[in-house]
Amino acid sequence: MKTTRKIPLYYWRRLSQLACLALFFFLFIRTDYSGSDTIEYAVNILFRIDPLLALSASVAAGFFILLMLPAVGTVLLTLILGRFFCGWICPMGTLLDGCRNVTPNTQTGKKRTYRPLKFYLLGFLLVGAWFGLPMAGYVDPFSILVRGLALAVDPALNALSATFFTYTYQEAPAWVNAVTEPVYAFLKASVLPFNQKYYDLALLSLGILLLIFFLEKLERRFFCRNICPLGALFAVTARFSLLRGKAGSTCGTCRNCREVCRMGAIDEDRTISMLDCNLCLDCIHHCPGNKISFRFGGQSRTKPFFALSRRTFVGSLAVGALLPFFLKSRTLARQSDELLIRPPGALPEEEFVGRCVRCGECMKVCIGNGLQPAFLQAGLEGMFSPILKARTGYCEYNCTLCGQVCPSGAIAKLSVPEKKKVKIGNVVFDKNRCLPYAKGIPCIVCEEHCPTPDKAIKFREATVENSRGEKVTVKQPYLIDDLCVGCGICETKCPLPGASAVMVTSAGESRNPAKALPDTGSAWQVI
Amino acid sequence: MDRREFLRQVALWSAGLSVGVPHFTIGEALAADDRLPLLAHATGKNYRDLVDRVLSPLGGMEKFVRPSDKVVVKPNIGWDRNPAQAANTHPQVVRVLVERALDAGAGEVLVFDRTCNEERRCYVNSGIQEVLAGIKDKRLKFFHPDERKYVPVDIARGKAVRRLDIYRDALEADSYINVPVAKHHGLSRLTLGLKNSMGVLGGTRGAMHHNLGQKLADLATVIRPKLTVIDATRILLANGPQGGNLNDVKVLDTVVASVDPVAADAYATTLFGLRPEEIESTVAAHALGLGEIDLKKIKVITA
Repeated sequence: MKTTRKIPLYYWRRLSQLACLALFFFLFIRTDYSGSDTIEYAVNILFRIDPLLALSASVAAGFFILLMLPAVGTVLLTLILGRFFCGWICPMGTLLDGCRNVTPNTQTGKKRTYRPLKFYLLGFLLVGAWFGLPMAGYVDPFSILVRGLALAVDPALNALSATFFTYTYQEAPAWVNAVTEPVYAFLKASVLPFNQKYYDLALLSLGILLLIFFLEKLERRFFCRNICPLGALFAVTARFSLLRGKAGSTCGTCRNCREVCRMGAIDEDRTISMLDCNLCLDCIHHCPGNKISFRFGGQSRTKPFFALSRRTFVGSLAVGALLPFFLKSRTLARQSDELLIRPPGALPEEEFVGRCVRCGECMKVCIGNGLQPAFLQAGLEGMFSPILKARTGYCEYNCTLCGQVCPSGAIAKLSVPEKKKVKIGNVVFDKNRCLPYAKGIPCIVCEEHCPTPDKAIKFREATVENSRGEKVTVKQPYLIDDLCVGCGICETKCPLPGASAVMVTSAGESRNPAKALPDTGSAWQVI
Repeated sequence: MDRREFLRQVALWSAGLSVGVPHFTIGEALAADDRLPLLAHATGKNYRDLVDRVLSPLGGMEKFVRPSDKVVVKPNIGWDRNPAQAANTHPQVVRVLVERALDAGAGEVLVFDRTCNEERRCYVNSGIQEVLAGIKDKRLKFFHPDERKYVPVDIARGKAVRRLDIYRDALEADSYINVPVAKHHGLSRLTLGLKNSMGVLGGTRGAMHHNLGQKLADLATVIRPKLTVIDATRILLANGPQGGNLNDVKVLDTVVASVDPVAADAYATTLFGLRPEEIESTVAAHALGLGEIDLKKIKVITA
């Protein structure tokens, strides 16, 4: 490769970054119901080319997850081109580069104090995944990005526009509305989500995302240099890459290349470390002597500028191997949370948590706003994994989108008839709250909404005394366990203020035979 | 309060210009006239044809839609179910009504429903989105209700409910055409025209279910269709209102239309082998003077 006079090489890199970012946002917006039962493309492709998540999920699963095969391609390309992914493709990297103008005091940074951190982290994550503490999704850049956008930014953007355009609609004169209303309609049809959604951990997800941007204050691409375990995986691979950067060693006192390097990849001797270099090609442009070039072949491998402490590395592996056993001492290991209701098609719990990459796509695509990120319901290792919180939203009976967008197969892709046979939970009534039972007031909203063709919620007529002492005949709901799929629409629609009088629990979920119910489970049919 | 004053208040409130708690009342005479209400019903396999047949004895669409009118055609699109499952109004019935309203010179024809299942899925799966997309006329607006456009309305004549959030377009329509599907309902036994009006309500509608019959009648004092067309091309006999099992569906190939919303419901009840008096909302609406429940006092025309 040579420096061309006309179009500097870094222009191409920027073009690639912008194109990939645009594609990312496009896919992000398209990760939604579009009028068809099947979703043609979604942002999950980003997670399927991510070798960290592919490796971590596969290690946890105990076999290679074919759905994540594209990640192998990324590794192969890294063997040829080095960490091009970080510089040319990664949407998180592009956003960090892009926000440089927002955080102008950024130091380029040449210290290497924290550089080994990401390798320790990588070791810990992979060993942890093997032993049953899958946490790669906590720190994977795409997971952090998509989660932050889906759970916090997207709903906030919608709330902001709704507030603004409600104000103009209600307060502004007609001529203003002649402008604002078409703008709102356009935004709704293009970038805004279809409706307002609400998420648990919205602020935490946003905070983690923002933290990465704040770290830019310390040095450019702080996250990429020091923390990103995906970057670590690329660095290990890029060490053997065919493409090598070559800088001048006889160019006197000029240190322009070192000054501009966003990854701190160039040392005092102006050797370019392919472990760090993300091929941004800025140095070529800034070298007054045109002494920097990138060529295939040359020296066989680069030495890292920093020394990994063997003791720390082994230590991090040991933590990854031992910590999971402490999880076994929790009560959670014996008795899972009864409100831990997983999406339809979710694998058995241990496999599910192992494979879930915490990308938040299922929650983004869930049209009922039923899927929420777990906090501690699934333990420390299950944070941000999806659970159904049926008071906020429910699982739409004919919808199978979550399984379609899951990049790792933690939620299996089910056909509509298959999905309807999956039971994700079972409903219990609180007769102390349920109006026909507790107050003698007619209601039956739960029965009305129950979606199974033969309704799982049925009612009996009963004559009871209401709070005024009158004898009234009301319809009291009850459940046929066999028919209930656990979708939770009854809990969502229950008209009581506060807690619902009908609640889904994970009892009877079909992925766990140990939770079989007396009415349905074969284990009970001995009598 | 006359209609013009009412519309002025709706506009003022929506524009944020009226002060204090929004406060509307409708107190005009409820029953239109004393003559025997007319009801047309027709049976046949060609659903497009059916609608025209029931409209004709009532005077055709021109009777209900004047040139440049703002028309609301309000089908039931409440559920994520396909047309054969009989949970939503048949798309062909909706389509013909829209076309006739356009033919009659309507200024605009608005079609919407506040759904129970996810909005987009209901619009798509009901088949209504597809047939309406086939009508290339800018006057037709098929949309999802806009959260901002619900207006609180005092139900002055209401006995069980005093105030409801109602969709602005439904209040402002010059001609409101109610197009329910006739089907089973666990609580109210049947859902017909009066129940279909719940689709223009905002807020939490679950609370309507406590004393539903009277509340529907109360709502009917404000939402007053010029024409009710009940789709009984196929009816749902059990597991309503959303069904899903084709064994619960009975094909009747019938459409019923009347100017009198109570009469339309009363007559449609007989299609299920029930008596009009068994449906609380019909009884309550009749008691409020909103229309005729007695089948003997309804002039039924087979079209």
